[in-house]
Amino acid sequence: MFRKVLIANRGEIAVRIIRTLREMNIASVAVYSDPDRTSLHVRMADEAEHVGAGPSAESYLRIDRILDAARRHGAEAIHPGYGFLSENAEFAAACEDAGVTFIGPSAASIRAMGSKTAARQSAIAAGAPVVPGIDHAVSLQEAVEFARKYGYPVLLKAVAGGGGKGMRRVDREADLAGALRDASSEAGRAFRSDEVYVEKFVERPRHIEVQVLGDRHGNMVHLGERECSIQRRHQKVIEECPSPLVAQHPEMRQAMGEAAIRAARAAGYYNAGTVEFLVDQDRNFYFLEMNTRLQVEHPVTELVTGLDLVRLQVEIAAGARLPFTQNDVAWRGSAIECRIYAEDPYNNFLPFPGKITRLSRPLGPGIRLDACIYQGWTVPMEYDPLLAKLAVWAADRDAATARMIRALREYDVAGIRTNISFFRQVLEDREFRAGALHTQFIEEFFQRHSPPEPPPEFATVAALAAALHSAARKPEAAPATNGANPWLQTGRSDLLR
Amino acid sequence: MKFSLTINGREQAIDLLAPAPDCRFQFGESAPRNAQVETLWPGVYSVLLDGRSYDVFVDESTDGLVVTIDGCRFEIEARDPRRFSRKSAGHAGEGFQTLASPMPGKVVRVLVATGDTVVAGQGILVVEAMKMQNEMKAARAGTVLTLAAKEGATVVAGETLATIG
Repeated sequence: MFRKVLIANRGEIAVRIIRTLREMNIASVAVYSDPDRTSLHVRMADEAEHVGAGPSAESYLRIDRILDAARRHGAEAIHPGYGFLSENAEFAAACEDAGVTFIGPSAASIRAMGSKTAARQSAIAAGAPVVPGIDHAVSLQEAVEFARKYGYPVLLKAVAGGGGKGMRRVDREADLAGALRDASSEAGRAFRSDEVYVEKFVERPRHIEVQVLGDRHGNMVHLGERECSIQRRHQKVIEECPSPLVAQHPEMRQAMGEAAIRAARAAGYYNAGTVEFLVDQDRNFYFLEMNTRLQVEHPVTELVTGLDLVRLQVEIAAGARLPFTQNDVAWRGSAIECRIYAEDPYNNFLPFPGKITRLSRPLGPGIRLDACIYQGWTVPMEYDPLLAKLAVWAADRDAATARMIRALREYDVAGIRTNISFFRQVLEDREFRAGALHTQFIEEFFQRHSPPEPPPEFATVAALAAALHSAARKPEAAPATNGANPWLQTGRSDLLR
Repeated sequence: MKFSLTINGREQAIDLLAPAPDCRFQFGESAPRNAQVETLWPGVYSVLLDGRSYDVFVDESTDGLVVTIDGCRFEIEARDPRRFSRKSAGHAGEGFQTLASPMPGKVVRVLVATGDTVVAGQGILVVEAMKMQNEMKAARAGTVLTLAAKEGATVVAGETLATIG
């Protein structure tokens, strides 16, 4: 087993990986950019190395500097987390060339699956159903012709993409040129490739994905599905296992699981990976893409299966065989995760970085919190606004939902805006409770939902607190009192009334 | 100690008759009430009122106070009527539109120049934070009167970046 592992990432995922490494008695090396010097992953790691300036291209995407850091610190392996270099085949190859184990699949598998269009082509070859689309980077003219043939809406997607970056829904031809330009420039910034392709947009689909895990000896299992239909800007915000749809139709788990394993095997895949499917209203599923890395939402699978995916990733990278077979995998209870972002849900989910002036965390039964924030830390504006993943486990979905609402009530983050109170409203929503999920859920939720009126007594308490707070901080306004206790001064002026 | 409060846009007068912890207060001419209030941390209060327990968070913002109780947000402006005159509304006159940054971030592109004539919906500038770009558009047609935004500049939420008239 490795003695030291470098984490080529930041934020909550770097913290989450460090935790497992510590449990495995493996030393951790953090890398950081200028604005991340005081970030939690640097504080928690055993060792740390500066790799450059704030923009990712000058630090977390610098393969040379990260490999230098690994060499200097004597790290035997690199965990890439998600995002940044995690799905970069060049990086995986450069690690192997440098004699450092890449904790993930082979460079060849990443290449095969990393290009969304190549992945679509291999899925088609493996007989998996896919949504109609053009399987290569498109020009504006090609996109226009495709949309005329299949009709609007269409979806533009980054060839090298993921996480909704470089993705645009287009509803009419007039918007196509602008959307293509925006998607392309966003893709270029996020993935250093501005290639964009086009697909027919499936209305109100579910997004359900399957976790697969394989070793380097040809063994592969699936760990069931995650429902990730609740999204904003094509980015998941609530994930759960089991999917409420699969819970009603248990045969879907096996069918999707087997399809996922077939697709992964076709790419010679090993280590952890995720095959994403779109599921339409008639429960047909379509191969969407494969993510060749650990997913953000892996905790819900861990809670329900009792496995530690990061530990398994490290063991597999070190050459171990899968310690169990498909028949050993069991799913127990229900888990839900909410992604806590620094953003304003009531202003188009615009990011809201800043200093965290106060923080209290949810605790108690069934709570798991993967976070990278602490009181006094300034959330940098250079990176994704993900602050924390709050996950809960309970015996069934209703209990998990109630538990999540309870946990959200205990979560206080001040100084920035977050989506915590928004999640409470979504989880109280009747459609959510019924498990009627689809990827346009949030847009429709905003249309049908009006924020609940707070109990009248809250306004009374708020008024009292505001008055007491103002009274306590008032003195600078009153030169006559020489900073004396405002209550004494009030007493005097009351006597003069 | 009397305060005029504006709570989420509604006016209310409160008189503090006795300080915390054994607090006595009165709204307008209604009957005085008692509350037990402990300050746990600056801006964090535990309030017991009529046997019910409330955790109350008070944050100071540029426009006043933000009070949060069990996830419910109250924007409150508190004035001592004997000491402060009411702030006059200081924004630009009728017919002007002010483009204020909706988030803390960085100006990545300025798409117009001072004096330009713009049409409704035209992009004026682009602010970026956390890999998310937000194009700010003119709500109505007009002329760009001021343009405080410069490419590369860091801005705070609410900062005026341009005015159009």
